[in-house]
Amino acid sequence: METRVWHYDGRSGQRRMPAIVPGADERYFTLHGDDADPGPYAFADLEPHGTSHHERAFGLKGRPGWRITFMEFPPSEIAVQLPKPARYGKWIDRFGLWRSIGVLAVLAILTVGFTLKLPPLIARLIPKSVEQRMGRLMVGNLGTYACSTREGNAALKALGARLRQDGDVTIRVVHAPMVNAVAFPGGQVVLFDGLIQNAASPDEVAGVLGHELGHVAHHDGMESLVRQYGLKLLLGGFGSNISGYGNALLNARYSRKAEAGADGYAIGRLQAADISPLPTAALFARLAQQDKEPGNAGLLLNYLSSHPLSSSRERTFKESARAGATYRPALDAAQWQALRTMCGDSPSR
Amino acid sequence: MEHESERGAFEFTGSWREYAPIAFTNLLLTMVTLGLYSFWARTRTRRYLWSQTRFIDDRLEWTGTGRELFLGSLLVMLLVLVPIAALNLLAGGLVLQGSTIGRIVGVLLFPLSYGFLFALGGLAIFRALRYRLSRTYWHGIRGGSDAQGFRYALSYVGHSLVGSFVFGLLVPWAMISMWNERWNAMSFGPYPFRSGALTNGLMRRYLPFYLVPLMTVILAVLLAYAVGLKAADGQPNPLFVIGGGIVLYLLFAGLLGLVGLSYYAAYFRQGINNLTLGHLEFEFTARTMDWLKLTLGNAALVVCTLGVGAAFVSYRNWAFFVRHLRAYGMLDAEQFTQSTTPAPRQGEGLFDSLDMGAF
Repeated sequence: METRVWHYDGRSGQRRMPAIVPGADERYFTLHGDDADPGPYAFADLEPHGTSHHERAFGLKGRPGWRITFMEFPPSEIAVQLPKPARYGKWIDRFGLWRSIGVLAVLAILTVGFTLKLPPLIARLIPKSVEQRMGRLMVGNLGTYACSTREGNAALKALGARLRQDGDVTIRVVHAPMVNAVAFPGGQVVLFDGLIQNAASPDEVAGVLGHELGHVAHHDGMESLVRQYGLKLLLGGFGSNISGYGNALLNARYSRKAEAGADGYAIGRLQAADISPLPTAALFARLAQQDKEPGNAGLLLNYLSSHPLSSSRERTFKESARAGATYRPALDAAQWQALRTMCGDSPSR
Repeated sequence: MEHESERGAFEFTGSWREYAPIAFTNLLLTMVTLGLYSFWARTRTRRYLWSQTRFIDDRLEWTGTGRELFLGSLLVMLLVLVPIAALNLLAGGLVLQGSTIGRIVGVLLFPLSYGFLFALGGLAIFRALRYRLSRTYWHGIRGGSDAQGFRYALSYVGHSLVGSFVFGLLVPWAMISMWNERWNAMSFGPYPFRSGALTNGLMRRYLPFYLVPLMTVILAVLLAYAVGLKAADGQPNPLFVIGGGIVLYLLFAGLLGLVGLSYYAAYFRQGINNLTLGHLEFEFTARTMDWLKLTLGNAALVVCTLGVGAAFVSYRNWAFFVRHLRAYGMLDAEQFTQSTTPAPRQGEGLFDSLDMGAF
C-alpha cells in the first residue's frame, strides 16, 4: 500500500501529494509522483514539526520550508525511522516532565536561598578600609553637630571601655532631639542627644550602645545597604549617593534576626561588664508607653519604628538579669552628668 | 485557484481544553526555573496557536525556537542594557563629582541615554514584527524583511517628537505613519506588504482624550459645590469628600480606558483594512465593544483565578485576532515562491526587555 504525504518543497507554495517510499537502504526514502523532487532523503535529516497527535509534520535539515505531512499514522517500517517530536524541550523530554520539575524545584529553592544569603556574604567581603571610608562619609554632615567636652568625651570613652568596644569603633554624641542611635559602616556609632536626655540612667544608654555595637560587630549596616541597593552600591562608586545611603541607614529596618543578634550581643556585653540589663528593658517599656501619649508620637516614633519593639525583646533583657549578681552602674554620677551636659546645659529638646 | 470561501479565509480551530495542558505545564516549568523557561513556554504556546490557525487551505506553522528567544534576550542584556546602566551610573557620578565640565557632560548624558533607549523601542517594534513574520510558515513559505530596522528606529524617534507637538494632537498621524512605514518594509513569500492607512476618522476618536480630564474637573467642581450646600455648618462630611473622590477617580479611569479602546479599535481597523499582500486584501472587524469584551474578559480571567489565568491571556488575544481577521482576493500558489529576505538569527530579545509583548 502506498503512503501519500502532503509535501511542500520550500521553494514554491505549490502543494504536492507524492508517495513516500522507503529505500533499499532503510535509512533513506524517496518521494514519488506529483512532480515532487524524488530525493533520496535521509530519515536522520527529518526534523519533527508536528503539533497534533493525528498529524505528523516533518521538515528537512538545511531546507527551510520543506515539509512532509502524514495524514494518517504511517506504516511501521516508516514510523520506526521517524524522529520523535519534542514536547517540553530536549532536556526535559529526555529526563521526564515530573522528574525535571522535581529537580528544578530543588535547584530553584537552593538558588533563592543562596541569593538571600548573598548580602551578608558581600557585606563581609567589602574591605575594611572601604567600609571605614564609607562610614566617615555618611557621618559627614552629622559629624558637624557632634558634641565635645573634655569630661563628656572621657565619660563616653569610659562607657565604651566598659562595653569593651573595639579600637576601630568611633562613638559620637550628636546634638539632635531624636531618640535614636545609629551604627554606620566602619564602626561609626552615633548616639543622638535626645536618647541620652530621655534615659533615666547611664545603664539604659549602655544597653542601647551595646545594641549598636552589636550591629557594628555583625556588619548589619553594610548588609542592609547591600540588600537595598545591591550592585548599584558596588558599581556606582559609593561617593555618588552617600546622603541617600546615610538616610537609608537612619531609617533602616533590620531583619528580626539582625535585631535579635544585636540584642544578644548587647546582653553579652552588659553581663561581662556587670551592668544590669533591667534599665534597658525599662527603657523599652517606657518608650512604648510614652509613644501612646499624645504629643510625643513624632518624637519617639523614630526609634520605635526602626527598632520594632516587642514585649519579647523587653522580656529577653529582663530575663538575662541574674539573681544575686552585683551590678555596678555603667557610669558614676559625675561621668553621667558630663555625658548629659555634653551638648550644652539646656537639653536639646 | 485558492479563493476566499464563505467560512472566511482565516479560522481559529483551537480549544482551551487542548491548550490547558500546555498552559499549565508552561506555568509550572516557568516557576521552577525561576522564569528561565518562559522563552520555551512562549514558543510552545505559539506553536500551538499557529498550528490551530487555518488560512485558506492550510494551517500556519510557527518555527521559532525557545533557544533563539533566550539567546536574543541574553544578547540584548549584554550589548544594550548593561552599557546603558553603566552610562547612567557614569553620568550620575560625573554630576556629583562637581567639576563644571563633568557636570555638563553628565547632564548631557542623561537625555542622550534616554533618547537612545527610545530609538531602541522603535527598533524593537520593527524587529519583533520581522522576527515573527520570518518564523511564520504557510505552504512552506515564510515572511520577513530586507531592512534591519535602523532607519525605522530613527523615524520612530522623529515621529514621536513631532507627535508630541501641539499638545499631542499629531499622535494619530505619527502612529499611522509608523504603521505604514513598518508594514511597507515587510513581505511574505515573493510579495511585499503594502499599507496605505490614513488618519481618516481617527481624530474623532482621539479628541475625547482631551475631553475626559476637562469633564472630570467640571464634575469635581459641581460635586464639591453640592457637598458644600448639603453641609449646613460649612464643614463638609469627610466621608462625602472621600467617597466623591473615589467615584470621580473611577469615572475618570474608566472613561479614559473607554476612549483609549475606541481609539485603538479604529486605529487597528484603519491599519489592517488598508493592508494588502499581492492580490490579497485584509480586513479587521473588531469594534470597540469587542475590544472591551476582550479586555474585561482578560482582566476577569486574571483576577478571578488570582493570576493563574494569565497563562490563557495570549490564547485569548490570538483567538480574538484571528477571529476578526478577514482576507479577500486570490493567491496563486505557482507564483507564491520562497521569501528571499535574510532570516534574522536571534529572537525578539529587545522587544521583550522593553516589555512590549502581546501574544
